[in-house]
Amino acid sequence: MREYWVMVGAFGSGKSELALNMAVRAAADGPCTLVDLDVINPYFRTSERGDVLDKAGVELIAPPYALHKIEIMSLSPRVYAAFTPGEGTVFFDVGGDHVGAVALGQYKPNFSGIPAEKLHVLFVVNPLRPLAADLPSARAMLDKIQGVSRLRVTGIVNNANLAGQTSAEHLVQGYELVRALSEETGIPVWGTCGCPEVLEAFEEYAAAHDLDERYIGKKYPIEVMMHRSWEKFLKEGL
Amino acid sequence: MALKLMKGCEAIAEAAIQAGCRYFFGYPITPQNDIPEYMSLRLPQVGGCFLQAESELAAINMVYGAAGAGARVMTSSSSPGISLKQEGISTCCAAELPCVIVNMMRGGPGLGNIQASQGDYFQATKGGGHGDYHTIVIAPSSIQETVNMMGKAFDLAEEYRIPVMILADGLIGQMMEPVDMPNNPNPTMHDKPWAATGYKPGGAKQRAIINSLYIETEDLDTLEERLQNRYAVIRGKEVMVETYNTEGAEYILCAYGTVARVCKAAVRLCAEQGVKVGLVRPITLWPFPTKEVHDAIAQDSVKAALTVEVSAGQMYEDVRLAVNGCKEVAFMGKAGSMIPAAEDIAERILKMRRA
Repeated sequence: MREYWVMVGAFGSGKSELALNMAVRAAADGPCTLVDLDVINPYFRTSERGDVLDKAGVELIAPPYALHKIEIMSLSPRVYAAFTPGEGTVFFDVGGDHVGAVALGQYKPNFSGIPAEKLHVLFVVNPLRPLAADLPSARAMLDKIQGVSRLRVTGIVNNANLAGQTSAEHLVQGYELVRALSEETGIPVWGTCGCPEVLEAFEEYAAAHDLDERYIGKKYPIEVMMHRSWEKFLKEGL
Repeated sequence: MALKLMKGCEAIAEAAIQAGCRYFFGYPITPQNDIPEYMSLRLPQVGGCFLQAESELAAINMVYGAAGAGARVMTSSSSPGISLKQEGISTCCAAELPCVIVNMMRGGPGLGNIQASQGDYFQATKGGGHGDYHTIVIAPSSIQETVNMMGKAFDLAEEYRIPVMILADGLIGQMMEPVDMPNNPNPTMHDKPWAATGYKPGGAKQRAIINSLYIETEDLDTLEERLQNRYAVIRGKEVMVETYNTEGAEYILCAYGTVARVCKAAVRLCAEQGVKVGLVRPITLWPFPTKEVHDAIAQDSVKAALTVEVSAGQMYEDVRLAVNGCKEVAFMGKAGSMIPAAEDIAERILKMRRA
């Protein structure tokens, strides 16, 4: 039986970055498929990292418009192949906000056939994005996404970041938000993401300040694949 | 300083709100859709009005109406949509209406593509619509600079009663960077005694009429004289330009917007090779920094200049006019969204040096 991971969250919260990281790592342990389900943004999509995915052995299911730089959003019938019986892991990288999560709704019958322990729906949170800093905004986004996606979120991810300028302090800010969100909704915190050195500094802070492990969850190091800093862009282009 | 990770379009919209903009009228087009999207959420929160018009023409005419009533108003679009707005922009200029227009340039001509481009330089700086008019054109080169310029854009618009265009490219609109957003709950608004805000017979205020039709030759001449005098003041006072490493340089790069940012990296690459290269970056494209561009390139130390654009060579013409033949000015660039790499620009300079 395949294991399913669905990344949802506000626009620009870091879903694609997390999906790419998880998919590349999962591919080392067995068959892995990444479904690019973004119907919102024609730019900065997981499909643009086809070379990275290829090299890692991740099968990519992308809509036909992706990489063709056109704007007629449609979904590939190949998405249904991700629900066929098999082994390994499937990741869904979904478009931002509830507007992007709408694309999940039509797969409700398919998701319904997956046992609960094999379906993980992660709500990615970055309080350093505009209009996403406080509990009411995060809660409202979570509710709207659950409504239109017709899926229950199973885990919250602290992905507080300012791209290349992220520090442990930002993850602490994220911690406070995911803790409040988790306490209010009862949804557990799945993990805390960050570049290894930031994550390490956050761990030290967490130990020194007795942060509650329940609201830190898995410490998940991120290798930046999606976001291009200006310096990286100058070297490698988009 | 509380930084936020913002997409260029979001940052522009929020910066406009912080600058007191309360009215936005627009029509969707990639790559600037995040501006109306953000405005549609935020403007009602601050007591403003967002309206998705039925077309670009409708949107710019709503801008005309709101500006005529004295509101801080803005519209945004991308290249093909800006083409559609030209008649309205010309009309706003004739009616002396302050407003801010954002053009998040994409590849053209025609529908072109949805990637970054600088192909609308001519349209923005030389007219675009009909008649003898100008708009102030500001070309920021990073998200932070765009944010910092939004307040200035509204202030200039109101001070001179002129439309101000923010000419950015799709890259600035779509990329995300940490941004320091001003928090300005009470922006200063200019007095607008000319605005049509209601007339009471016998009241103290004169009847305000917003108009762009001057049938009598003498009347139109009076308007034109007023506009041209105003443009002369703007040319004298409002030029913005950045010079980087230009003093004593052997070569001068000339570029604006995102490309200027790439050029800065090329300057550093050339320095590593022992070649002193400087950059002159017009921030206002109109008024064009003619003197500053001339002075940077006319220095004795300078062998030649290189204009770099994501176009077939548009600002290139203004650079050559500024230099007026005193030095060689070469061009590097391609139309169609091919953004030159820093290495390629440095290589071109080194090649010019070998020649």
